[in-house]
Amino acid sequence: MVKAVPPWLRVASTLLVALTVLFLLAPLVVVIGVSFSESEFIAFPPKGFSLRWYEGVLTSNTYLASALASLQIAVLVTITATLVGGAAAVALHRGKLPFSRTLAIVFLSPLVLPTIIFAIGMLMFWSRVFGPVSILTLWLSHTVVALPYVIRTTLAVLAESDPFLEEAARTMGAGRLQRLWFVVVPQCVPGLGAGAFFAFNISFDEAVLSLFLRKPDLTTLPVQIYGQLEFSPDPSVAAVSAIMIFLTVLMMVVIDRILGLQRFARS
Amino acid sequence: MRMNDRTENLLLALPGLALLAMAFFLPIGQMLVLSVSGASGLTLEHFSRFLSDPFYLNILWRTVRLSLIITVICVVLGFPYAYIMARVSPRLRMWMVVAVILPLMTSVVVRTFGWMVLLSRNGLISQWARDLGWAERNFQIMHSEAAIVIGMVQVLLPFMALSILGVITRIDTRLEEASRTMGASFMGTLRTVVLPLSMPGIVAGSLLVFTLSASSFITPSLMGGARIQVLAGLVYKSVTQTLEWPFAAAQAVILFVGVLLVLIPYVRVSTPRHG
Amino acid sequence: MANVRLQTIHKSFGSNAVIHGVSLDIASGEFVSLLGASGCGKTTLLRIVAGLEGVTSGTVEIDGRNVTDLPPERRDIAMMFQSYALMPHLSVADNVRFPLRMRGLGSREEQEAKVRTALETVQLAHLFQRRPVQLSGGQQQRVALARAIVSNPKVLLLDEPLSNLDARLREDMQVELIEIHKRLGLTTIFVTHDQEEALSLSNRIILLNGGYIEQQGTPAEIYARPDSAFASSFLGAANLVPAIIEAGDKPVAVLADGQRLAIAPDITTYGSTTIALRQEDLLISDAGRPGLQARVRTRVFLGSRNRYVLQLAGMDIKVLASTDRVYADGAMVTLSVDPVRVRCLPR
Repeated sequence: MVKAVPPWLRVASTLLVALTVLFLLAPLVVVIGVSFSESEFIAFPPKGFSLRWYEGVLTSNTYLASALASLQIAVLVTITATLVGGAAAVALHRGKLPFSRTLAIVFLSPLVLPTIIFAIGMLMFWSRVFGPVSILTLWLSHTVVALPYVIRTTLAVLAESDPFLEEAARTMGAGRLQRLWFVVVPQCVPGLGAGAFFAFNISFDEAVLSLFLRKPDLTTLPVQIYGQLEFSPDPSVAAVSAIMIFLTVLMMVVIDRILGLQRFARS
Repeated sequence: MRMNDRTENLLLALPGLALLAMAFFLPIGQMLVLSVSGASGLTLEHFSRFLSDPFYLNILWRTVRLSLIITVICVVLGFPYAYIMARVSPRLRMWMVVAVILPLMTSVVVRTFGWMVLLSRNGLISQWARDLGWAERNFQIMHSEAAIVIGMVQVLLPFMALSILGVITRIDTRLEEASRTMGASFMGTLRTVVLPLSMPGIVAGSLLVFTLSASSFITPSLMGGARIQVLAGLVYKSVTQTLEWPFAAAQAVILFVGVLLVLIPYVRVSTPRHG
Repeated sequence: MANVRLQTIHKSFGSNAVIHGVSLDIASGEFVSLLGASGCGKTTLLRIVAGLEGVTSGTVEIDGRNVTDLPPERRDIAMMFQSYALMPHLSVADNVRFPLRMRGLGSREEQEAKVRTALETVQLAHLFQRRPVQLSGGQQQRVALARAIVSNPKVLLLDEPLSNLDARLREDMQVELIEIHKRLGLTTIFVTHDQEEALSLSNRIILLNGGYIEQQGTPAEIYARPDSAFASSFLGAANLVPAIIEAGDKPVAVLADGQRLAIAPDITTYGSTTIALRQEDLLISDAGRPGLQARVRTRVFLGSRNRYVLQLAGMDIKVLASTDRVYADGAMVTLSVDPVRVRCLPR
């Protein structure tokens, strides 16, 4: 089909794609570049080459503390989002619930409703009912935001599975729990795996909820970065950000290994 | 254990439902309640305070205006990119998908930081503009509406591209081929065959992008600076700085309602298709 | 090995009644086919025996025990699905071992021994480590079969298991099924829409139509004596021709155009009726001979034979003939048939 495209259009499209990709990736490249800069000022292209900012970041207590907080929450979120989301996906896939369609919309609604609305709602609700916010608050809110991703990846995998497997298992003598464990869960595993990594990534990168639900001693890494950016950033911010980018790339590679990123081009 | 299918599924869905009820719907409910709470019971004073002050209305208008511009730009850039992504070889498509998903999966603060560097006074872009004679000495794109638009487009373009891609991959290439064999040019085919069929994806993407732009505050706050505010930024201030929670809630409700007004007709229109 | 008894089974999905009072007795070790067009209820009936569908009323007994309210996992059955339903994440051996594992039958070694035997029975022992995705359709089907027989179930249920295979494989598998049935003697219920399959595999055929049992009997019985127009057209490609029977020493069937056809003396229907003329029973010869006169409309070349579409008494009649002699379009021919083979059906 591409052969049928007039040459001027081909050139134009290649140019368009190149520029768009450049546009999409530029900030990331810049950040990584700045992180290696030698000077104290943020400049791109970077002047000189030095790892001092990485050194600084990895030894800074504030950054380490916030990174740890982010990590803790992300791990917790991964576990809960995967378990809860996986179960919900199975229930949705089977479709034998009342109001299946509405339920699906409900479960996917955090994707559609702006996080900021949810964030202030959570802050107000929590303060009213439980008092000051804590890691628990962030844990729960991040899980809510990550849940739809797990559900989506798991549903995608389940959609391609053989619908008769459970029936076959029944005719082979498998009881309810046996079916869940020996048939349903193995079917879900690629979806759960990818979902877990998505959840981790989402939680780790999450900035809006974490900004609203923070305390002086409860700052996540993105919030820390935001704080620095508001005032006078030095390249250490770039170093932290570059590390985060690296983490994201890692996550993407893993998800691709498990599920194939192409699937996401179809959401 | 005597359980039937329905019960089993209910039990599976329960934790998710409980979580959403408690940690999502209740908080939103609380916020709605707070938005109409005053010193002496139910009141609409917060809403009227917002809607009668030109300062606030100005910000609301700016938010809407910028969101529309951002949405349009995302469509213009996203559609060709998505179409090309759908039609190239799998290998190339893979890389194009990576180029789209990688920014999506990076934290928004990191991406915004990158733009801050590029668009600030000493940034590469500003330097180029000066070198090319387009701007004076102190030029920077940062802290302007243009900067907000640039930053937001980069953040939201992936959503648009993926949304349209999803739909285009479902279009039978034979339709385009048939159109060509009937004499239509490539651009003509794009216009009369591909574009109409991609509409659901474009609409879905636009709604998503519009919603997300209207409710973003991290990128606009950083890119726009203190003087150029958007609605979400106001909300943030009201919540964390001036601590006027009911007022903040009212603003959030205005935002929420605006989003719903845009979303509900879309859901109504598109659900039968998915049925 | 057990017998199966269905008593007055009624099944409705919502307000849609699909099975109307079906009763069936299947003896232990019998191979029974449920034959019919799609929508006739044969798969539903099979699933009812399996326990995958409930009944609206009626009872199901397996081996003398009322299992109507028992779920499939407690019924000691085995089922082979049209899509094979192999566990993609398990190896062939683990797939076959699954029912033994779920039911906790024997120790691990005993289970593995049974698995080996089952795989040898279907000649797949050498592939025991592969994953289903690495197997061809025919091989997957064998694995599904091995899995079904490994637990020595009381009843073996097969839901159109051969319909996804190409013609050659189907024939091979049919032979294998017959052998396995001879060897193991399992009570088997086989669902198919293919009459040839039913005829070649079964001890008994149950012909279903719209949720009712239209006719049942051995393959030979049903084929030779279909009781109704439906049965006739389903089993053996028959032409159904309206005619009026005139009684007498030499009864005849009078067709719409007045032509007369001799029929067997032991008829029981008179007056207005339908006669069934099988394509392979009709003989074509040159025009003018004794028999019915018809005109050739088209000829279809089938390789080993020709199928002619003839115009007779205002309708199309299909006839199978050898390729020795070819009759041109538009030519007149004589159709003859052994009177014994003319089946008179009640109107």
